[in-house]
Amino acid sequence: MSAGATHIDHIVISSNDSAATASLFAENLGIEIKRTMSRPGTRAHLEFAKLKEVILEFAGPGEVQPYDEVKAKLWGFVAAVEDIGAAIAAVRAAGFEAEEPHPAIQPGAVFATVKTGTHGVPFAFIEYNVLPVPEGS
Amino acid sequence: MLSKVHHVGVVVKSADEALKFYRDALGLTVTADRVIEDQGVRGVLLQIGNSEIELLEPVRDDTGVAKFLASRGEGMHHICFESDDVAKELTDAKARGVELIDQAPRPGLAGMIGFCHPKSNHGVLVEFATPIEGRH
Repeated sequence: MSAGATHIDHIVISSNDSAATASLFAENLGIEIKRTMSRPGTRAHLEFAKLKEVILEFAGPGEVQPYDEVKAKLWGFVAAVEDIGAAIAAVRAAGFEAEEPHPAIQPGAVFATVKTGTHGVPFAFIEYNVLPVPEGS
Repeated sequence: MLSKVHHVGVVVKSADEALKFYRDALGLTVTADRVIEDQGVRGVLLQIGNSEIELLEPVRDDTGVAKFLASRGEGMHHICFESDDVAKELTDAKARGVELIDQAPRPGLAGMIGFCHPKSNHGVLVEFATPIEGRH
């Protein structure tokens, strides 16, 4: 029994100025920032790039505070699964803790964080096309 | 041109312990597992879709990975982008003002590789890799 992770869905790069870090990655690496958003209900500012199936998510505060230097770090990543219930059951059966799935920010998707066993990596599962997608999403 | 995320590097105290989650619980397949003597690490690659997870366990105390583990603990260490020409990626990055750790490609677990200095990317360690023939 295993979680059946199909691919890395997204990798989170946290920064005290996510727009600046996304811009620097675009300039240094030639990647294209495809979308920016402020997460509803939070103060986060997010910018996104995509290489094949993997999304790079640059995450930072909505209101950037004065800083001496921009500091970013690789934060964690999210694995896509086809059955999040089965994925959670598998990691629990292996002796690790995972939260119950809940609606993700991504329309129609559900999300669950794995709490233990990831060796310092913030890690979660995401399954798409589970919930109805609101019109206009 | 960077075509995809080749892998994410994760520093761990024990690759065997980490495999209990990344291989056994997630159901990922190990594609490489060997000690890279000159880097002082045991590297384990696990395939996940078109990318991989690279577990890095220091086998000596005098390496960058060992120092990372001592100062920051386990966690994400670097991100590696695949290119069909790692030498050109390094040259182009340098021309754009990126400080390089590797001035020329060298052999690594993922193929021919080269690292940019993290201070050029706001503290994020970035690697380029051109996989060896027959591997993605």
